[in-house]
Amino acid sequence: MTDVRGRSWRQRLFGANTLWIGLVLLALIAVFGAIRPDAVLTTFTLQTTLVETSVLLVLSVGMTYVIITAGIDLSVGSVLVFSGVTSAMAMNAVNDGNATGAGWGTVLFGLLVALLSGAAWGLLNGLLVAWTRIPPLIVTLGSFGAALGAGQLLSNGSNVSGVPEVLADGLGTGTWFGVPNLVLLAAAVTAVGALVLATTRFGRHTYAIGSNEEAARRAGIGVTGHLVRVYLLAGVLAGLAGFMALAYFRVASITGHDTDNLNAIAGVVLGGTSLFGGAGSVVGTVLGVFIPAVLRKGFVIVGVNVYWQPIAVAIVLVAAVWFDQSRRKARNQR
Amino acid sequence: MSTRTVALLGAALLLTACGGGQIGDTGGGQDAKRMVLIPGVAAEPFYISLECGFREAAGAAGYVVDVQAPAKFDSTQQTPIVTGVLANKPGAVLIAPTDDKAMAGPMKQLKDAGIKVVEVDTKLEDTSVAVSSISSDNAQGGQLAARTLARLVGDRPGSVLVLNTKAGTSTTDARAKGFEDEVRKFPNLKYIGQQYTDNEPDQAASKVTATLAANPDLVGVFATNLNTGEGAATGLRNAGRTGEVQLVGFDASPKQVADLRGGVVQALIAQDPATIGRTGVEQAIAALEGRHVQRDVSTDLVALTKDDMAANEKFFYKQRC
Repeated sequence: MTDVRGRSWRQRLFGANTLWIGLVLLALIAVFGAIRPDAVLTTFTLQTTLVETSVLLVLSVGMTYVIITAGIDLSVGSVLVFSGVTSAMAMNAVNDGNATGAGWGTVLFGLLVALLSGAAWGLLNGLLVAWTRIPPLIVTLGSFGAALGAGQLLSNGSNVSGVPEVLADGLGTGTWFGVPNLVLLAAAVTAVGALVLATTRFGRHTYAIGSNEEAARRAGIGVTGHLVRVYLLAGVLAGLAGFMALAYFRVASITGHDTDNLNAIAGVVLGGTSLFGGAGSVVGTVLGVFIPAVLRKGFVIVGVNVYWQPIAVAIVLVAAVWFDQSRRKARNQR
Repeated sequence: MSTRTVALLGAALLLTACGGGQIGDTGGGQDAKRMVLIPGVAAEPFYISLECGFREAAGAAGYVVDVQAPAKFDSTQQTPIVTGVLANKPGAVLIAPTDDKAMAGPMKQLKDAGIKVVEVDTKLEDTSVAVSSISSDNAQGGQLAARTLARLVGDRPGSVLVLNTKAGTSTTDARAKGFEDEVRKFPNLKYIGQQYTDNEPDQAASKVTATLAANPDLVGVFATNLNTGEGAATGLRNAGRTGEVQLVGFDASPKQVADLRGGVVQALIAQDPATIGRTGVEQAIAALEGRHVQRDVSTDLVALTKDDMAANEKFFYKQRC
């Protein structure tokens, strides 16, 4: 990681790789905007697209750290469900079974429960990955099933309602000078995640472990402890995402988060983070998460046939990564 | 798989074939006064309500009842339950097959052991296994949704959207088809097609807001199941169009009923799971007593709106009997 030194923090934050993915995103918006300017280039479409991507963005920030260490976390969607269920049930429990009319104290308590629930699964993942040397794919495949099962066990298999109205109206649909609060929260998390990764020792160690774990160990980095902390971070962010989803949908859904993990991984990889670890950025992840979101929305707006939509999304995703890869290869040969 | 394993497996298969037997052939006598219900999944309000109807009717007829539900709506989890029930040889089994092909084998074992099999809610492709099938007419439910939506919209002109789950889901496809056929009879409603959501609420929300951006004249949405309904409600809320765009959902679980009461959803198309359970018991008893059995029974659906919901409380799905 010698090249990290000597670059300004701005270079480190954005990196050259993200430029091209950013251009792909802009091109997509330009194409959809040219076809239906009246429907695409509106505050309404901007607002709703941002809100609908907020929860996935928070999941993807944690995923970026994990993938940079050359790991993977398949459990994020299930941890999201588990945290949503524990949080909603805890808020109901302190309000005689229905928290709909509860105040901010209950909301804060619910947030704490969601974060702790996420942290518990993250810690478990981290300890298993770092101490037992079981491959992260297997560890998190296990917790993917276990967290969902635990959520179903607690809620008896059905969705949990009774979300406080102050939470749903404040965080879920509230805005601040026209910007949805959910988006502000996601943006804040992303900004902190990007700065920590790009400018702190914690971030540098994350890259170092992903580049070469043994070298990092010999350089005196506490690899085991660091890995635990990275998975813990991903778990806490999944817990936060669960709380955000609770505010957004006003119910803790048991089903419907089966592919959140793959969506997060796709966003991270699309954003230029290497699945082999050691390279990547949170800014890239932001762009990578928005490409599928913009595509899905754009296709509905311009009226692409429903059966073509998944095929078209797949083609654009693979093409974007291919484009990025071949450009990088060309640069490396120079 | 090593060659030896294959050889062993082959030999085992050959032996079974020669023996000519089937698992479940051995075992004691049959307990004709016992009836078992195997729902599609545990702890779901729809199946719980079905179970309530089943327990009530079978209990009244003097049968000993038992309910065994898989933890997930999955044939690999339902199969061991079926074989377990087979060992006890009840008189009749009411089952909601979780797969229209994969469950044919295990259910045929029930039939071969002399147990009367009645399908409730879902059915096998192979119609020779069960003596009777009782289910809601999903296409009729879709038609009812279209008529209800038309009534709620009045004579305002505008576009209507259908939110489906995954392509190839027979129940929701039938609902969407029924809706499409019926909605064309209302000239003021412009049907702009259906969108698939992968049964994920966040996709449903995003497709509703995208449709609103492209078709600002949207007046109605038909969400074909629980998850699409939840997503559609979220999308409309974010767009600030709750109540303005009429939302018709399907099924009547407690959360959906609460949303209907709160004005988030304007109508629900409810099935009648308790009647499905009761009718299943009636047909099973008829088969056991050698009377005439009706092969296919479809039960009615009902549209619930905020105004008439108080009178239709018996159609709300239950969390417990």
